[in-house]
Amino acid sequence: MAARRALKAVLVDLSGTLHVEDSAVPGAQEALKRLRAAPLTIRFVTNTTKECKKDLLERLTKLGFDIAEHEIFTSLTAARNLLEQKQVRPLLLVDEKALPDFTGIATDDPNAVVIGLAPEHFHYEMMNKAFRLILDGAPLIAIHKARYFKKKNGLALGPGPFVAGLEYATDIKATVVGKPEKTFFLEALRGTSCAPEEAVMIGDDCRDDVGGAQNAGMRGILVRTGKYRPADENKINPPPYLTCESFPEAVEHILEHLL
Amino acid sequence: MAAWARAVRGLLLDISGVLYDSGGEGGGVPIAGSAEAVQRIKASGLKLRFCTNETQATREKFVKKLQGLGFDISVAEVTAPAPAACRLLKERGLRPHLLVHDDLVPEFADIDKTNPNCVVIGDAAENFSYANLNEAFRVLIGLEKPVLISLGKGRYYKETDGLKLDVGAYMKALEYACDVQAEVVGKPAKAFFESALAEMGVRPEQAIMIGDDIVSDVGGAQQCGMRAVQVRTGKYRPSDENHPQVKPDAYVNNLAEAVDTILSQM
Repeated sequence: MAARRALKAVLVDLSGTLHVEDSAVPGAQEALKRLRAAPLTIRFVTNTTKECKKDLLERLTKLGFDIAEHEIFTSLTAARNLLEQKQVRPLLLVDEKALPDFTGIATDDPNAVVIGLAPEHFHYEMMNKAFRLILDGAPLIAIHKARYFKKKNGLALGPGPFVAGLEYATDIKATVVGKPEKTFFLEALRGTSCAPEEAVMIGDDCRDDVGGAQNAGMRGILVRTGKYRPADENKINPPPYLTCESFPEAVEHILEHLL
Repeated sequence: MAAWARAVRGLLLDISGVLYDSGGEGGGVPIAGSAEAVQRIKASGLKLRFCTNETQATREKFVKKLQGLGFDISVAEVTAPAPAACRLLKERGLRPHLLVHDDLVPEFADIDKTNPNCVVIGDAAENFSYANLNEAFRVLIGLEKPVLISLGKGRYYKETDGLKLDVGAYMKALEYACDVQAEVVGKPAKAFFESALAEMGVRPEQAIMIGDDIVSDVGGAQQCGMRAVQVRTGKYRPSDENHPQVKPDAYVNNLAEAVDTILSQM
């Protein structure tokens, strides 16, 4: 492997990596403290369509993690950045709880469509509204394209199928801003003055966290917590830079080998 | 000049966007000249069949609506997807979970719908709620061999208050969710056009399809060896004239103009 530049940034996935539901991964709080003692920029990254940064911060702080709001980068942040870049006014098909992350963005007379996981908006009338806007030239921005997710009473459709339907009807491709898109990882590093080659991503989702990060030029560490299933590491090519037990082991490796 | 309109023995007519635009309180608004055009075709000795992907109601119901709007049309003259789907379901021992408009359900009256082993999706309009789509998705994802039958695959159609998403968009949604490919019953499937031609008793080379959907009507008909004409009414948009694959045999402003030209060549 070619010589790498020194590590300057660490991206850390949240759900499944730092915590699993309402419990922190054992030893994770301590490991984060040790990581902070090193000369590294840290970002906490996650695909979410319904948790604004404040809610995430609150949950993590309650679990004993020392995190600042500006260190959190979510797919909602990525969407917001894109809206600002393009200077458009979105029709926001997102969960109500996500709206705080869009304060300050004008939404009257929309000329863009943003889609997250928002079952309450996916009825025929609203879908037609989005469809007509896109047909008229409005860009379609998808927070992510998950096919489905697990609920207590079974599987439920994610935003992906609705995005796919609108893409077909309008013959337009959506811009997907969440993991595993390259732009998500590059955007997460924006403002850190770190290049992808100077960064490593730690996550439990082999394809979306590790695969996505490596595709963006970073190194990826796969942890065996959260949604990890045995042999996941064989599902991407190239394989993860490292597969290890959990976040604390990943931090150990970084401190020992990558600084 | 109008070589496309010669040597014709039969016409296949699309309904929505050619005869009328659906929607609104009366159920729809006739397109100018279309009712007389239908009468002139019938008076000319040419054979006629209506080839539609209409799945918001039973044939009886939408034919009655069209008669009320002044059209000379009967159920016997219509080729529509639901009956074709029923034949297919019976042939293959399929028991459907239906994601369709309430008014279409009677077409499936004598089909066994218990313990479904497939999903049939039609133009369900307001029935395309998240809850209903999720239910259909759960049936499909729970099947060892998921079978999704789509009545047509149109992207959108025109109603009096604007363009609306058609069954195709929701077919794609379920295809994406379950990673399956739908089987299409209705235009542009070849079998559908062929059955319409057989019922009319006309060979493809002697038939012309007139429609407003460049892919489902025009492209599909041409793939069967028919000539096909694109009207500039209904869901037609100027960008259709730059379609990368489909080149209609002619563009006409509306059905009346198509019929003028065809009759002038007889």
